[in-house]
Amino acid sequence: MNTTPLILISFTAIAAALGLLTALRPELTRVRGGKILAFMSLCVLPALGMWAGVNEHLERSTSTQFCLSCHVMADFGKSLYVDDKSYVPAVHFQNHFVPVDHACFTCHTDYTLFGDYKAKWRGVHHVLVQYLGKIPKPEDIKLYTAYNNRECLHCHAGMRKYEEASSHHKNPEMLAQAATNQLSCISSGCHDTVHDVTTIKDATFWTPKASGK
Amino acid sequence: MTATLMERRIRWSGLLIVVGLLFQMLTLPLTHPLAFVGFLFLGCPLVAAGMLFFLYSLISNDKE
Repeated sequence: MNTTPLILISFTAIAAALGLLTALRPELTRVRGGKILAFMSLCVLPALGMWAGVNEHLERSTSTQFCLSCHVMADFGKSLYVDDKSYVPAVHFQNHFVPVDHACFTCHTDYTLFGDYKAKWRGVHHVLVQYLGKIPKPEDIKLYTAYNNRECLHCHAGMRKYEEASSHHKNPEMLAQAATNQLSCISSGCHDTVHDVTTIKDATFWTPKASGK
Repeated sequence: MTATLMERRIRWSGLLIVVGLLFQMLTLPLTHPLAFVGFLFLGCPLVAAGMLFFLYSLISNDKE
C-alpha cells in the first residue's frame, strides 16, 4: 500500500491543528515562543504541505487510473486491451513497452522542458469541459495538434529494432524524415491504427492473467 | 484583554490557512481530476492567501 498520502494527510492535519491554535489564541504571539509557533504554523508548515501536496497530486495525475476516471475516456481505456497487434497503444500497453500504471501520460505528454505542465494544463481544460461544458462523443475527441514524432522517438530513437527494421528503410531518407517530423509515424500510413474508438465495439479483447498487473 | 490589529490579522490568516489545509486534506485520498483541480484552485489559493496575509501583517506599519 502506498503510504505517501497517509503521511501527507497526517502532516496536513498537524499543520491545520497548529494553525487553528494560532488563529484561536493569537495573544500567544506576545511571547517569543508564540512568535515562533505562529511563523511555523502560518508560514513554514503550510508551505511545506502545499509543496508536497502539489507534487503528490501531479504524480498521481499521470496515472492510467486518473486519466480513465472520466466516463468519456472509457473506450480509450478499452482500446489498450484490444487483441490486435496493429493497435499501437494496445501493443505498447500489453507488452509493458510503456509503464502500465502511467500508460496514457507516457505517450500524451510533450517531451519538452515544460511538457508535463502543458499536458496538465490541457487536463484542467478537460475537467472544465467535463463538468461545465458539452462532453464530446469519444469518436469526436481529437488531439489539439498532430502527434509529434518526438514523443515516439523519446523511447525509439537509437533502438536497434527501430533503426534496423526493414520497413524503416523503404526509402533511404525515412529515418531522417521521421526524426525531423517530415514523415509522421502514425499518420503516414505506417502505424495508423491508434485508439480507433469508432470500431472498438467489434474488437476482441485480451484478458490479462491474474498474475499480471 | 482586546486583541491588537496584528493579532486580528493573525487570526484571519490562521483561519484562511486552516480552511485551505482542511480542503487539501479532503482531496489527498482521492485520485480523481476533481480532487486535483480542487487542491490546486481552491486549497492552494486559500493557504497562499493566509500565508501572504500573515507575512503582510509582519511587515506592515499600520497603527490601530
